Amino acid sequence: MADPILKIEGLEVAVDNTPILKGVDLEVPQGEVHALMGPNGSGKSTLAYALAGHPRYEITGGSVMFGGQDLADMGADERAQAGLFLAMQYPVEVPGVSVMNFLRTAVNATRGEEVPVREFARLFKEKSDLLTFDPSFADRYLNEGFSGGEKKRHEILQMALLEPAFAILDETDSGLDVDALRIVAEGVNAQRGPDLGVLIITHYTRILNYIRPDVVHVMFDGRIARTGGPDLADHLEEKGYVEFGSAETAAAPR
Amino acid sequence: MADAPTWADDARSAATAALDALPALTGAEEQWRFTPPADLDMNGDTPAGVAAGTGTVALPAASGRAARLAFADGTPDPAEILDLPDGVIVSELGAALETHEALVRDRLYSLAGFDDRPGALNGAGWDAGTFVFVPRGVEVTLPIETILTATGATGRVFGRTLVIVEEGAKATVIDRYLSPDLDGVVQASTVVELFVADGGELEHVSYIGWGRGVRHQATIRAAAGKDARVRSVNVTLGGDVVRVEPTVYCRGTGADARALGLYFATGDQHFEHRVVSRHEAPQTYSNLLYKGAIQDTAHTVFFGNLVVPPGAPGTDAYQTNRNLILNEGARADTIPFLEIETAEVKCSHAGAVGRVDDEHLFYLMSRGVPEREAKHLIVYGFFQEVLDEISFDALREELEAAARAKVR
Ligand SMILES: Nc1ncnc2c1ncn2[C@@H]1O[C@H](COP(=O)(O)OP(=O)(O)OP(=O)(O)O)[C@@H](O)[C@H]1O
Ligand SMILES: [Mg+2]
Repeated sequence: MADPILKIEGLEVAVDNTPILKGVDLEVPQGEVHALMGPNGSGKSTLAYALAGHPRYEITGGSVMFGGQDLADMGADERAQAGLFLAMQYPVEVPGVSVMNFLRTAVNATRGEEVPVREFARLFKEKSDLLTFDPSFADRYLNEGFSGGEKKRHEILQMALLEPAFAILDETDSGLDVDALRIVAEGVNAQRGPDLGVLIITHYTRILNYIRPDVVHVMFDGRIARTGGPDLADHLEEKGYVEFGSAETAAAPR
Repeated sequence: MADAPTWADDARSAATAALDALPALTGAEEQWRFTPPADLDMNGDTPAGVAAGTGTVALPAASGRAARLAFADGTPDPAEILDLPDGVIVSELGAALETHEALVRDRLYSLAGFDDRPGALNGAGWDAGTFVFVPRGVEVTLPIETILTATGATGRVFGRTLVIVEEGAKATVIDRYLSPDLDGVVQASTVVELFVADGGELEHVSYIGWGRGVRHQATIRAAAGKDARVRSVNVTLGGDVVRVEPTVYCRGTGADARALGLYFATGDQHFEHRVVSRHEAPQTYSNLLYKGAIQDTAHTVFFGNLVVPPGAPGTDAYQTNRNLILNEGARADTIPFLEIETAEVKCSHAGAVGRVDDEHLFYLMSRGVPEREAKHLIVYGFFQEVLDEISFDALREELEAAARAKVR
């Protein structure tokens, strides 16, 4: 088995002083695709933001090692430069910043070198074609007025351009129509290989039928409550999360 | 100037007399609360001709301009590049006092006279002057540009611009201010008077790109006739202490005035913008939009005022000032004001000082962009709303590049 690209031990995270993650243990060997499922409010996005380095998500205990580096010491930008990518559940709109300018800046920043304009243009065209991302979006402002599905596609376009070592997809599948889901899944599968680890956060097995996970984890009330193979996802789809606790706890963990 | 006509000499004497008669500014005056008048040498204590360290200014290429006048340290000996439609005049103002007396005499000093110290100081001392005249119905597609440079060879520079756009004519005029970083202090005083007759259109861009050491008081006044359109765009990036006072006068029914501005203050720069629209006729429109970013220990002040005297029903007037503070220690004050004495008007004003949105910053940083660069991307994005209003593409791109270059 390859060395884990991501190794989370006893991770505790608080948001605005409210403890949300209460001791998460999770390991993803490089090259594997893991799914993370769990009821609303169980802490999946909190884990994703904490890994990506959002300053509001404070690590209060435990550790996260990313390819041998301790993430706690790194800013969000350094984590991305080290190869971590988060496709966000709710990508924000940044007024006045053009998509093209943003993407170029991001590619240059993660590569640590200025990519020549022509090479970038070629790269952008190649990846937009792959993901059927309308290139006219290049002149629009970042996520401004994008539909829900367009925002998600744009997240995956960024993943394709930045070529991370590890990608977290936080509900990238919600809001995508059937065709878009297939295209996005194909995009992820095209990048799949020994140099990419993936954590797919989702509520649905549909995306997992396109991108078969090696391992499925269930998060419940701020902890990993169960880990299993791909069938665990089907089991959850059928049975829900009642067996992990009361429906009330699932809806609003304390 | 020795060979100026008598009327012009008389005006200069009147300005000098006003300077002697007006009380010295102390800083206790309401309009001078934020910028010490002494910082801008408003009492005229700095002897002219004192060197402030020297450097050279590389003039930007004149391509893409219909005409350009460049004044080094205020010397009225400009290089001219002209490709103008028939009847359009672009001339050094000192010469135009005589050669174009019929056009100049009635207008010069009529929007900005000698009733306050900045006006009197400039009236008494200006040398680098530009005169632009666009006759009835003529359209000048490319911008006409004046560049006033300071190299530090003298302690003071004065600029004066007079623009007349006749009925139905159309032009873009840029006043640009440049210098290298200087060891000493150079005081700059500039006055711009803009006249746009009925149905005319003028976009005026004041681009303040001084280096370190320059302190600048700038007055810009624009009068719009019936159904005329005026855009006063002000970009303030350079200089140690800069105070810009643009006023748009809606003088004819249907006049449409926009005052747009952006400023980016870094280091210990101090910028004050006092922007006013005066509605002196019924059914006029004005819209002031100023956006600024403030970094390091810089300080900016925005004072905006919509003035609607009696007899201007149907006025539609808006003003917005937004500021982005980039770090602890940077400061912005915003004072939006209204003086409305007519019923049946639509007016709104808003001023805001905020920080960079954490979610915006995180999004960019999560793509590997370092914090400082991410903040600057956000700043340029924030400015875009103003830049998008600049109709001349090449000029918009130049200003975008200038804002970017500022912090490289
Ligand atoms: N600032 C905050 N203060 C208190 N609680 C918060 C704060 N931010 C988030 N939470 C709570 O943290 C919990 C976990 O939220 P999170 O977004 O991680 O859930 P999730 O598993 O991603 O849910 P979903 O499936 O709905 O996306 C929720 O109960 C949420 O209300
Ligand atoms: Mg979530």
